[in-house]
Amino acid sequence: MTIIPYLVGACLLATGCGLPKDASGTVERVRGGVLRVGVIHNPPFVIDTGTAVRGVEGTLADAIAQDLGARIEFRRGPEHVLMRALHTRELDLVIGGLDAKVPWVKEAALTRPYYTDEKAHVLAVPPGENAWLVKVERVLRQHEPRVGQLIAESAQ
Amino acid sequence: MNPFPVYVFQPELAHERERARRLSWLSIWLLMSAALLMAFTVGNSQTMKTAWVSDVLSLVPPIALLIAMRVELHPPTERFPYGYTRAISISFLVTAAVLSLFGLMLFIDAALKLFRGERPPIGTVVIFGRQIWAGWTMIAALAYSLSCGFLVGRLKLPVAHKLQDRALAADAKMNHDEWMSEGAAILGLLLVAFGYWWGDAGSAAIISLNIMRDAWETIQQVIADLMDEAPNVLDRHQLEDLPQRVREAVKRYDWVAEAAVRLREHGHLITGDIFVVPREHTDLPARVERVAQELATVDWRLHSLTVMPVATLDQTTPAHPG
Repeated sequence: MTIIPYLVGACLLATGCGLPKDASGTVERVRGGVLRVGVIHNPPFVIDTGTAVRGVEGTLADAIAQDLGARIEFRRGPEHVLMRALHTRELDLVIGGLDAKVPWVKEAALTRPYYTDEKAHVLAVPPGENAWLVKVERVLRQHEPRVGQLIAESAQ
Repeated sequence: MNPFPVYVFQPELAHERERARRLSWLSIWLLMSAALLMAFTVGNSQTMKTAWVSDVLSLVPPIALLIAMRVELHPPTERFPYGYTRAISISFLVTAAVLSLFGLMLFIDAALKLFRGERPPIGTVVIFGRQIWAGWTMIAALAYSLSCGFLVGRLKLPVAHKLQDRALAADAKMNHDEWMSEGAAILGLLLVAFGYWWGDAGSAAIISLNIMRDAWETIQQVIADLMDEAPNVLDRHQLEDLPQRVREAVKRYDWVAEAAVRLREHGHLITGDIFVVPREHTDLPARVERVAQELATVDWRLHSLTVMPVATLDQTTPAHPG
């Protein structure tokens, strides 16, 4: 099968050329713009003080925004409303101590776990925004070594 | 004569059958390895899920073939006095049922996703410490699966022709045609990579149509088997001239005035009835028995032929349609 080396080459090349792309251009919009984050209070992962959002996932959201030079806009609401908003791409990210077993897989896309205890902890993004999903997962992986420490700090 | 004969393959053909058996095992292992690789990468992609099911389904024909090859040469029994040679038809039936069921299910699944605008989220995986988009690993797994199908399809086809084996030929074609499924899946994932979300469910729909097409071809084969179809040229919808050749061979006996032949496929073999109008009646039973034995040499697939002496024949060939 002579096509395989070409295929592998194409894949490597593609990664260099900014593939995958978003279906609706989330990364392009967020970069240097506004990151719209849905927030569900769920300590120690998300601690919503009303004026600021802290906790592990608050820190992670900050890191993502910083990576793209974006300003964060928080939106509060019940879980199902926020997930619905992800589906219609009115939000870019939902943080709320979600674990990989939540029944929202059809409405939202879940990231790979950034931390695993008895649950696999994930964030949620709009489905089909794959460049965005890749971006978020890359930032999460960079912060993976710090998560244990962050949880301990947030729990105090 | 023995009314319950056991078919024995000549050494050369038995050797080819052994090759067919080994190739079936090779397909099973290769396709299973591809299925395993795909299972690890499947994620949230509909096209990947469909290609995976399609890959697993292509395990059904070789397994059915292996079972049929074990069963078909059993000697006839009280319950099955005509023997077990048609076991292969049952494997066709099973394959057709499984394929049409899954094909339809996957098509509905893909169509609903397209209709509802469900977009495939495909994130990253970490391989050897590098974090890459899962789409690339899916494409790699698909490329592997594609090569496996292509390879086993290519290997099986010549053996199928030597054995005049319809089941093996259909299986080889199905393996070979898998490149269309995997190719469509790769294309779908590339579309997703470029931000066209419908590429995923769209290519899944194409693959499920491909599965249904396989199912339809198998169903046609099952129907033909149930209808006792005359021997057919492999790979083509064309009747063989074997009945005519047998009839000519019978008529070459100088004690035969007139003859009529009807043959049908009997699993891998061919069986049927030969009606003869004898010119002389001395020693008729022995003559009839000898003809039955000698005619089996016209084609190696002929097996368990019945020769029936009659007083007159109204018709010596069946009607041509149209």
